[in-house]
Amino acid sequence: MEEIEQPSRNNLEGLKGWLNPSRYGWERISYWFQRLTGVFLLLYFIGHVYETSTIVNGQNAWESFLELTQTVWGHLFLILVIGACTFHSANGIRLIFTHSGIGLGTPGRPDYPYSPSSLNYRQKSGIWIALILSAAAMYYGFNILFGE
Amino acid sequence: MESHRILKESQIMKIHYVTGIAAIFVVAVHILMRLIVPFELSLEYDYIISNYKNIFYVLILESILVLVSVHGFNGIRIILLELRQSKAWENMITVVTISAMIALIAYGTRTIILANGL
Repeated sequence: MEEIEQPSRNNLEGLKGWLNPSRYGWERISYWFQRLTGVFLLLYFIGHVYETSTIVNGQNAWESFLELTQTVWGHLFLILVIGACTFHSANGIRLIFTHSGIGLGTPGRPDYPYSPSSLNYRQKSGIWIALILSAAAMYYGFNILFGE
Repeated sequence: MESHRILKESQIMKIHYVTGIAAIFVVAVHILMRLIVPFELSLEYDYIISNYKNIFYVLILESILVLVSVHGFNGIRIILLELRQSKAWENMITVVTISAMIALIAYGTRTIILANGL
């Protein structure tokens, strides 16, 4: 009997597979957003730690750095950060529940049309709640930053 | 093969979840500190310096720094380990992400200490 070759454990598609939107369902969109927002927020955090460090160089250094960030584009960027932060938090809580087995439903026989019980309305609602909360937070942030 | 590991991957995931949840609370306090006064005033030099002299707020800032750095760099480590699997790659990514995390925490802590003394 011919031995079946074990496939490589490497993720051969790499980033291309990660970013390929052609096979997306709601869960995959949320997976994609969770990672994109996570990387984006870490980059923002590194920039924010650097930005706030200018305060130790005195008032002039702080105010000249503020002039760079307190612009319309700077505020729009902050609104994106607010949205990313809210989605990442809300969807992250959903993922913690899911990894703990909460909201997955009970296993059942796979009958036609083979809808997996784990990808149920609870999961989809969780993703929608994360999206709605992030839109609301962005709206609130917009009012704070552009309201006066 | 796995015996020399300090933490199991399941333990690291628990740390990831705990730091994520804790970060939500401390970041919420940090944002509230910007919102209890008008936004423009909250960015004024004197107000920020007074924040850095408040020991409670300094502890919040240091917590944010540690929690978000641990959570963020572990997240990057997880993403990079999913892209490729080998012992050398895993060791390299772990060393790089832990080093970057320590560097960021050290740099942010330096700002907190120096601003507290201004």
